[in-house]
Amino acid sequence: MSYEAQLQRLEEIVIELEGDGLPLDDALRLFEEGIDLLRGASDELTRAEGRVQLLVERAEGVFETRDMDG
Amino acid sequence: MFGNSVEAAMPVVAPIVIPGASPESAVPVASLTETARAVVEGALSPLWVRGEVSDFKRHRNGHWYFCLRDATAQVRCVVWSRGQRLIPTSPDDGMEVAAYGQLTVYPARGDLHLNVTAMEARGDGLWRKALEETRLRLDRDGLLAPERKRALPTAPLRVGVVTSPDGAALRDVIAVIRRRAPHITIVVSATAVQGVGAPAQICDAIERVCRWGRADVLIIGRGGGAREDLWAFNDELVARAIAAASIPVISGVGHEIDITIADLVADHRAATPSAAAEAAVPVRADMFAALQSKADELREAMLRRTSIARGDLENAADMLRRTAELDAERRRARMSNVAGRLNALSPLATLARGYAVARDISDRRTLAQVADFDPDRLFTLTLRDGDIVARPVKQS
Repeated sequence: MSYEAQLQRLEEIVIELEGDGLPLDDALRLFEEGIDLLRGASDELTRAEGRVQLLVERAEGVFETRDMDG
Repeated sequence: MFGNSVEAAMPVVAPIVIPGASPESAVPVASLTETARAVVEGALSPLWVRGEVSDFKRHRNGHWYFCLRDATAQVRCVVWSRGQRLIPTSPDDGMEVAAYGQLTVYPARGDLHLNVTAMEARGDGLWRKALEETRLRLDRDGLLAPERKRALPTAPLRVGVVTSPDGAALRDVIAVIRRRAPHITIVVSATAVQGVGAPAQICDAIERVCRWGRADVLIIGRGGGAREDLWAFNDELVARAIAAASIPVISGVGHEIDITIADLVADHRAATPSAAAEAAVPVRADMFAALQSKADELREAMLRRTSIARGDLENAADMLRRTAELDAERRRARMSNVAGRLNALSPLATLARGYAVARDISDRRTLAQVADFDPDRLFTLTLRDGDIVARPVKQS
């Protein structure tokens, strides 16, 4: 799931939790999912170093990214 | 010996005939026009000629014909279709232009013709006209509608960049993204950004990133330059490729003052490649802050949910306790009622008043009449405070 999609899902979870009528079991399950998403997103942010890569299409639909100097 | 033969050895010189000098030596028309063409082309290199356009016609075969004139003179001009790619668009009648081309003679008509391969109009008229034409076509197809603009991702991880791999634009983009969000990966889809083949290459580079599918947002741009250098970003096909991109596109072409067709179609227009990079990626610290606030929201929502649950639980417990108390009370009342009635019916009460009851000594059935007694068998007599064993005595 992309970072953006994780945040989106997190948003949905908060909204669902804030709604009434959610059984406690489901609420707990959602909460745990939310915590996992937060951890994943935070890991992505702290991941050490972004790179500069060149996108190459070696054949129709076959892609390769090569590190560039930068 | 030789004296006499000198004259005889001389070659016979034919009479000199100058072509066209007499009716007998008249040249064919084709020779004349061909000679004129050679002379005109030999005398004049290609050059810029200025004048006003009139009688513009676009022929079915794609060539353009028009006259360039001023107050006293005119020359016919032609732009072959393959020579049109360097001219932004066709001129209108009345436009003041400078046309660049080779003067020649068109044999079929014997006309002077300027073979035009480049043209500029006063006040950038042709460029503005070409831009306006492209803009109108895109607008007609709805590609400029504000509601088409997509929001940029708030937290991209991979940024695609369609530009020249060794241009200043890429260096700027890399520098800005490194500074703001060093964790982000930059993926370059290389293309020429100027020259005849640039528009097609730019389209390819955009499609390549989209088909790859892993970039969150796309920057397309180049550094500043002459108007001709930026022209690829005014190309209609490039505009349509931007509109068709599967991810949001940020245009960053040239300097602040340059606005291109690409800018109009892109989801976000940045004035320069650096500004495009700033628009593409948030500062990492801000992303952390946003994540923290999401974490807070999640915790609060859960706390609220559990406190509701706790309340529900307490209410349920209260109700259970009340119900249990009520139930116990009811049972107690019923018990004492039954006990009272039981007491009233108990033979023990009768015994208490001094009566006794006779019962069989082993099975303790009540011996209520004489016939129940066996004269030879002991029986039990139950009194208020206990039993005694008795024996019937025959009287007769």
